[in-house]
Amino acid sequence: MNSIDELIKSRNGTLVEPEVKGFLKECSIDVPRSFIEIDLDTAVEKAGTIGYPLVLKVISRDILHKSDVGGVCVGLRDEQELRRAWNEIYVSIAHRCPSAKIEGFLIEEMAPRGVEVIVGALCDEQFGPTVMFGMGGVAIELLKDVSFRLAPIDQDEVVEMMKECKGFPLLTGYRGSPTNDIKAAAGVIVKLADIITGSKLLKEFEINPLVVYEDGCMALDARAISI
Amino acid sequence: MDAFFKAESVAVIGASPTAGKLSYIIMESMLSSGYGGDLYPVNPRHNEIQGSKCYPDMASIGKQVDLAIFALPASAIAESLKDAAPFINAAIIVSGGFSETGEDGRRAEQELLAIAEKEGVRIIGPNCIGIYDAISKIDTFFIPRDRVNRPAKGRIALLSQSGSFALTAMDVFAAEGIGVTRVVSYGNKMDINEADCLDYLTEDDETKAVVIYIEGINDGRSFVEAAKRCAAKKTVLALKVGREGAGKKAAGSHTGAVAGRYEIYRAAFKEAGIIELSGYEDILDACRVLNKLSPVDGKRVMILTDGGGMGVGIADSLSAAGFDLPALPRAKAEKLKGIFPDYFAVANPMDLTGSVTDQWFAEALDLTLEDDDYDIAIVASLWGPPNLTDDLPRLLGEVAGKHGKPVIICSPGGAYAREKNVLFEAAGMPVYLTPEGAVRAARIIAGMPLRR
Repeated sequence: MNSIDELIKSRNGTLVEPEVKGFLKECSIDVPRSFIEIDLDTAVEKAGTIGYPLVLKVISRDILHKSDVGGVCVGLRDEQELRRAWNEIYVSIAHRCPSAKIEGFLIEEMAPRGVEVIVGALCDEQFGPTVMFGMGGVAIELLKDVSFRLAPIDQDEVVEMMKECKGFPLLTGYRGSPTNDIKAAAGVIVKLADIITGSKLLKEFEINPLVVYEDGCMALDARAISI
Repeated sequence: MDAFFKAESVAVIGASPTAGKLSYIIMESMLSSGYGGDLYPVNPRHNEIQGSKCYPDMASIGKQVDLAIFALPASAIAESLKDAAPFINAAIIVSGGFSETGEDGRRAEQELLAIAEKEGVRIIGPNCIGIYDAISKIDTFFIPRDRVNRPAKGRIALLSQSGSFALTAMDVFAAEGIGVTRVVSYGNKMDINEADCLDYLTEDDETKAVVIYIEGINDGRSFVEAAKRCAAKKTVLALKVGREGAGKKAAGSHTGAVAGRYEIYRAAFKEAGIIELSGYEDILDACRVLNKLSPVDGKRVMILTDGGGMGVGIADSLSAAGFDLPALPRAKAEKLKGIFPDYFAVANPMDLTGSVTDQWFAEALDLTLEDDDYDIAIVASLWGPPNLTDDLPRLLGEVAGKHGKPVIICSPGGAYAREKNVLFEAAGMPVYLTPEGAVRAARIIAGMPLRR
């Protein structure tokens, strides 16, 4: 059995963000440096190993969209901000998602800015494994600047697919911005295509955002939905 | 599949002497289509139907029959199919009342499928109008010709889940002079589906292009594989209807939320090399050009016109579509300038103005198509210039034929122009009434997507 399927099985079908990111790391897809902690004082102690500013995210199998329930705080500059954010997330979850069981917190490095894109894969009932690329940001579901292909797919075809998006020039140096690593982003999509093609249990798999830099790219958030 | 399209004998099961009944019209269609094979009406209650000897059952015909058409109430089909199966190779089940009606219908359909598989009979339908084959003249459409006409023999095959769409398209094609090879409406496609038809058409030398009208596809991957094989040999175009709706509302990710059914269909069309059509107009424009012209490998277009404005409009539309409009090579330009009055714009677009003559049009087209400077020519010959005569279409047609390159006519106009435009079609060139239509036609034969 393929390793994402093993992971899904071992977690009874629901994966939390650090598990998905751990899997991405195994696939040689870059993710932010991070650690998981349940105790605030220990988290504060370990924060130095990564260095401020930090991102704090709640870990719970009961929460699908963390930021919708106040489960994410970014740009925490020091211990004081980390402690406050930790408590705020607890309070917010208690109010907005009281039945959610909190397994701990994911503490991550604050990734540098780049161009945000969304890459995904899904298993379609009629056509089977499919991959998607889209320009990122909050308006994705509004603008739908996305393109799809059937999987498996090679690197060249992925680049063709990426070029179909109107926002694609944002990656190639629009109005003086740097040229970004399209190859690296395309490589991630090829990997997603292979992952969804090889899996029997994945329904949807998504990295959003994938931040693309001049050199390389990084998965800031990811989710896996099983059948 | 030959048992459907090249059937040497056809039986109509449940044939009726009552004018207006489906089986009566099917007999009528078969009798009036020019079909050259044997036709057997089957019905135990009659001795003769529409002048043909009527048989009580398939066994009494005394020989194997290629194709049986079943036009009976749904409840009678299974029994009738079981009786007929040993004597037939293929069947078209016209009757509705199966999986399209719900769970009971689905079970009834499964029963039919089991009989067919056991007896080795291939089936089109149920809930369909079957086939119209302009080559073998098999016509199972149950709408009379004086209501809905049938096109002549041509180059295009049409696959349609919808019977009414197939019928309407046939009538319009017939009126527009667009010919077909084989038309299939497969309805519930319990056995024969798009992929089976595509595989058959891939090997069918008569068919140069295939148009598919899709409501929904069940086995997506086998469709994509069959379409890919077909598109490697001929032009394959598809219109998917029912685009809105079942977007996955309950999706857990953005990917799921933006992945409407249509996005996945588009991805599948791309994978297969299918040209995606976005509506009925696209189908007509595409079939009009494929009826006359073959695909080209290249996107360099020359525009010839006798009306400057129309030339610019076509140039805009071509550029937006991603075509190249290379300048006229210097030597050719010099040569034409030597022939034409100095107020002609010898360029691309080339404006021959209202002073143009038949001969000048033909010379300009001849010289531009010579050598390997252009892949396609669009000729916007408006009929206003007083020197143009009925000879123009023939002359241009001869030049196009000599160079073996596609020439598309863009000739908007009213009564006079429309009457004369028929001459272009007769001379082997498709005619469009708008620049956009002509450019869509160019995209189709250049294998370029209609949407970008």
